[in-house]
Amino acid sequence: MTENVNDTIMKMVKNLKASGQTEIVNNFQFAPLKRSISSSNSNESSFDEPTPLKKLKQESKLDLSYIGSPREMRRLRADLIEARNTILSLENRISHMHGLRKQMQLMFDEENQILKRQQDYDKKSIEELENQLQIIRKREADVKRELAEVNNKYQLLKIKTSEQVEKLEKSLEEFKEESRLIESEENSIIPGLERKIAELETMLEAAEEDAEAQKNLAVELEKQLFEKNAVQRDSEIKEQALQKAKLYIKELEYAKENVLEFQDQAKTQAYKLANYIEMEKENEQLKEENVRLKEEVRNKLLLEEEVYDLKNRLTKFKIQEKKLTDLQVQETQNAMYLNEWRAVARGICESTESDSALPHLLRSTVERLQQQELTLTSEKVELESQLKTVSHEAKVAKSELEKNLKLLGELKTTGEQKQSLIHRMQKKLLLVSRERDSYRLQLDSYEKDLTLCAITTTSSGSGPNQLQAQKERIENLERIVEGYRDMVNKLENDLQNAQPTAHTDTVPVRAEQISRLQDEVQHLKYENEQLRDRRDELEIQLESYLVGHDTLQGGQVLHLANNPLAECLAQRENLVDKLEQEVEKLKRKNKEHGGGN
Amino acid sequence: MTTAAQKAKSAITLKGSAEIVCDYLNYGINSILFQRGLYPPESFKSDENYGLTILMSTDNKIKEFLSTTLGQLKGWLVDRTVTKVALVITNVKTLEVMERWDFNVEYEGDANCGEQTSEKPLKQIKNEIRDVLKQIASSVAYLPLLDCLCSFDIQIYTKNDVALPSEWTEAEPANIKNAQSVKMRSFSTNIHRMETVVTYKNDD
Repeated sequence: MTENVNDTIMKMVKNLKASGQTEIVNNFQFAPLKRSISSSNSNESSFDEPTPLKKLKQESKLDLSYIGSPREMRRLRADLIEARNTILSLENRISHMHGLRKQMQLMFDEENQILKRQQDYDKKSIEELENQLQIIRKREADVKRELAEVNNKYQLLKIKTSEQVEKLEKSLEEFKEESRLIESEENSIIPGLERKIAELETMLEAAEEDAEAQKNLAVELEKQLFEKNAVQRDSEIKEQALQKAKLYIKELEYAKENVLEFQDQAKTQAYKLANYIEMEKENEQLKEENVRLKEEVRNKLLLEEEVYDLKNRLTKFKIQEKKLTDLQVQETQNAMYLNEWRAVARGICESTESDSALPHLLRSTVERLQQQELTLTSEKVELESQLKTVSHEAKVAKSELEKNLKLLGELKTTGEQKQSLIHRMQKKLLLVSRERDSYRLQLDSYEKDLTLCAITTTSSGSGPNQLQAQKERIENLERIVEGYRDMVNKLENDLQNAQPTAHTDTVPVRAEQISRLQDEVQHLKYENEQLRDRRDELEIQLESYLVGHDTLQGGQVLHLANNPLAECLAQRENLVDKLEQEVEKLKRKNKEHGGGN
Repeated sequence: MTTAAQKAKSAITLKGSAEIVCDYLNYGINSILFQRGLYPPESFKSDENYGLTILMSTDNKIKEFLSTTLGQLKGWLVDRTVTKVALVITNVKTLEVMERWDFNVEYEGDANCGEQTSEKPLKQIKNEIRDVLKQIASSVAYLPLLDCLCSFDIQIYTKNDVALPSEWTEAEPANIKNAQSVKMRSFSTNIHRMETVVTYKNDD
């Protein structure tokens, strides 16, 4: 074995040397090409092969040292560098290609897997489809068979039905014959009816049976219902029991919790019990302390109360001290006033007696003075009343005086009037006496004429006519004279009437008349006013009764603010506004059009 | 006991009387609105009351307005503060008052005697109301034609001491120039007496 091994190792060494030599020769001639080929070959072969190549490079480097000319060496070196660069770039490319190859392989693997999966899926689907196809074929065969059967059945049925039809036709004919027979035999109706009745009875029986069956069914159903109800009740009772049990469980749980709590508490209590004696001692101590503190508190309260009381008293004392000083001041003042008053009283009483008798004296003097005052006031009142009476009398006298003065004025005016009247009368009298004188003269002349005429009548023939005329004239004149006499008498009477009235005392009568007339005037004025008021009232009433005028006689007029009239007006206003807007719009448009033209 | 019960049965209370008056006004005003052609006739629906067929408006606005106004009026009638109810028909264009229907209210009986009741039979009152409504319906014959756009308002004349409810305002009394007036029949519930007068503008 060992020999064999040694042989193989030897072989390997020899081979290596030989190959190394050949490659060195190659390296001289086509180093870059061979390597590129080898590298391209290595791509196809396994991935681990580049390592021996590298070893070869190292060997070639070592071999270059002994080659001759330096120019060749330089060229070779440049070549070598170039070759190395190309080797590096090729290695890069190789690694890149390896990466690509790996990616591609991965992709191919994935695609392969996908395709395999799809193939499996397709295979399955194909199998399924084949199965389906077979099933469908089977069904087709079945259906065909069924069709044949159905056709057979149909043929049979057809035959049967045709037979039946024939039979029925026959029976129809028979029936017809029978009916004809029945028609011929009228009596045969009764048995038919009887048959019908029998049939109906059978039907009735059947119905009754049915009813009984129904009843039985109903009874059974009721029983079932009852059973079911019982079952339901049982279940309800059970549910209730369950709930009760649940509640009981809850209670028990609660009790359990309570027990745990109680256990804890018992533990604490036991602990507390252990400390009880100490605590009791402490308690006693504390109680004693408490009593002591309470007593102290009580004492403190008492002291506080005392302090408060003393404070109050102090304030009161202060106030009273103030009052005391005030009162002392007042007292001194009062003593001064008293002395003054005493001096005054002594002055009034005009006595120099002791102070004790002074008030009595003063009182007596005061009383005396009061009495004096009383008498004086009474005298004064009397005098005042006298003054009043006197002044009243004076007023009366004044009024009388005024009246008398008025009367005097009136009398003067009347006297003047009368004097003027007398004057006028005298004038008239003068006129009248003159007239009388003239008339007397006339009369005398007439008498003269008359005497002359009487003389002439005796002498001439035309006497009776003249006499007649003169008589008439005389009568006329006498009448005139009579008239004048009457007038004179009347005037004289007037004069006489006027004279006595002027002299008599008519003043009081006139005053009465005047007052009466004044009263009348006032009364009439009052009536007038009343009538005017009434007229105004009536006018107002008339106005109120004027048709169509709705005047308010007190009170107010109310209406709903939202009445139909207001609404209507608002609508109308809106409409008017809208129309105005439209008009304006149209006007504007018109203007625009006008401007455009 | 029985007589008292019977009395109570047939008696009309103050509120009942106010109700009767308001019912009359409702029918009367609707009748006037129809007769005077203030609203289109197709917006009216006939209603049977007082033994008459009266056309009542189906316009919701008018119905609401009348119910509000008459509801308030009922309260005032019970309080005895109303003296007159006026239905004023106005020309919308010129604001001229064309017609005024006065419903004068007078109060009868003693107001201070506690629960005021009336023994007047309801049938008699209804008959009286029917007569007035007939007169209103026939008034179209002599009233001038309202050939312009008109609308109406209801004014209530009250005494001075009336508190103004919300949505109510004071109004001016409506005067008619060149007027002529016709007095209708009156009816009474023995608590309220209602006199109806129409005053209209004379065209001549």
